[in-house]
Amino acid sequence: MNKQTRVWLVLSIALSLLALGNACSKPANDTNATGSASPSTGASEKWTGATGTISGVISFEGTPPAPKKIDTAADAVCGQKNPNLMTDDTVVKDGKLANVFVYVKEGSVEGGKKFADYSWDTPTTPIKLDQNGCHYVPHVMGVMVNQKISITNSDATQHNIHWTPKSNPEWNQSQPNGAPPIEKTFARSEILVPVKCNQHPWMRSYIGVLKHPLYSVSGENGSYEIKGVPPGKYTVVAWREGGAAEKTMEVTVAGGGSAKADFSFGGAATSSTTQSLQMMPAIEFPMLGKH
Amino acid sequence: MNRGLNRFAILVACATFFLIIAGALVTSHDAGLATSDWPLSNGQVFPKMVGNLFWEHGHRMVATTVGMLTIVLLIYILAKEKRSWVRKLGVFALLAVIAQGLLGGLTVKLMLPLAVSSAHATLAQLFFCTTVSLAVFTSRSWIEARQLEEDKESLPLRYLCTAALVTIFLQLILGATLRHSATWDQKLPVELVVTHVLGAIAVTLTLGGTVLTVLRRHKGEKFLTRPATIALSLLVVQLFLGVAAYLTRLKSPGDPQPLNPMVGITVAHVACGALVFVSTIVLTLRTYRVLPAADAHSTWAARPQES
Repeated sequence: MNKQTRVWLVLSIALSLLALGNACSKPANDTNATGSASPSTGASEKWTGATGTISGVISFEGTPPAPKKIDTAADAVCGQKNPNLMTDDTVVKDGKLANVFVYVKEGSVEGGKKFADYSWDTPTTPIKLDQNGCHYVPHVMGVMVNQKISITNSDATQHNIHWTPKSNPEWNQSQPNGAPPIEKTFARSEILVPVKCNQHPWMRSYIGVLKHPLYSVSGENGSYEIKGVPPGKYTVVAWREGGAAEKTMEVTVAGGGSAKADFSFGGAATSSTTQSLQMMPAIEFPMLGKH
Repeated sequence: MNRGLNRFAILVACATFFLIIAGALVTSHDAGLATSDWPLSNGQVFPKMVGNLFWEHGHRMVATTVGMLTIVLLIYILAKEKRSWVRKLGVFALLAVIAQGLLGGLTVKLMLPLAVSSAHATLAQLFFCTTVSLAVFTSRSWIEARQLEEDKESLPLRYLCTAALVTIFLQLILGATLRHSATWDQKLPVELVVTHVLGAIAVTLTLGGTVLTVLRRHKGEKFLTRPATIALSLLVVQLFLGVAAYLTRLKSPGDPQPLNPMVGITVAHVACGALVFVSTIVLTLRTYRVLPAADAHSTWAARPQES
């Protein structure tokens, strides 16, 4: 092998490695905390009229899976702070299911315009995601696109926050105990972004990212409420973790009124189901006839 | 032949095997991103080894030790070894371990892309192959080996061994890709599982055929029959471990965290796979050492292939 051939060989290997590294790298255009890279949606009109609410209760049919005990031996701090740490993927109390993310997916606002044609201001108040007792608090939460998420570590041990979205850039950051809060944003809407801690593999959280504020998460009593809904007809979706199918429901909201949309999970659902008024007698429209 | 050099090469090979086990523990625990830093962990050389950081930083410490040992091995080789090709292989071992360290850092910084993680796992096997080869080349049995005869009418054993080795290597790449395509809480991709099973059948056929040929043609020649028997025995264990690993991985997405049975069996499967690979390498190298070169088989090569 002569000198010229060697030079070309080395150059070829170097270029191949560079190409490989470039091909394998993931998009990272949203790693800054302020995140001003929100794509234009074309929605500029804001609703200024009266608004209503959508509320309901999430039920769990059948026997819920028993929580599983988590072995915290690998990190004594977790066991000391939370000696009876259990899985929290299915939290059921008196037949009501917590941690269900309910949101308005689409619809038409009174007057005929599409729901997607309206825009909402991004709240300036950050949403808090805490690592406390070696699990995430809250377990499920929602934020608006470009709204700040303030991530804190209340434990006396180190964590890392690793989210694995599909539409937004993947992100992983260590946060030792005592470290200041980390502020992050999502530039694109996504249902829902899984969050995990690679140091404590049982830690899981989910973040729903939307362009609007019309979402809620069911509490321990299974209830939720979405405020500030412009009058119109909407498709409401309920999502829960664990691979269960989303539930959808059509509701009508009158200005100043409220619509009720109860959902029920349980069993082994395999596909998305849409519940209509005829199929779901539990749906009530108390505001109908009032205006 | 320098006995000290050979012993040290064996030590480096053993340390490399331990490093492969440490790396497999990282993957099975999904600990690769337990810290976002590299080469430091959480900005420290010696962080608090709690949670999954124990596995990730432990792997880095073992890797650093192996890197140091490889440097010492190269110095030892350059000082004591006269064969230029062995000296070159020592240089290659150092370059490989450096590249492996950089790939490890790259996969952490890029957040474990499948291609880079699989390349990291595959290069680990190649580096293990290199250190084992150095141990073989510096051994007394290699230097004192006597030439054997082979039936010129039959398919050269060198070809069979090489075919088995290539098949095992491809299967190792498949296995590495399968392991890195889904974490413990995700289902394994069916198409990769099926391909890996087909690969296992191909390895069984090629390695089984090779070993049986060795035992039939060179009965009593321990220089060849010993690695052949070890490779086949390990393959049997590996097949059972593969089934057990698959069964435990089927269940793991429903577990709250990576549990010891899944971790232990999948890591054992990786380790045993590495041992099948290197025992086949030893067999292949020894075959090349004591059996005639391919051109000596001109009679076989010139013959029309029989069905």
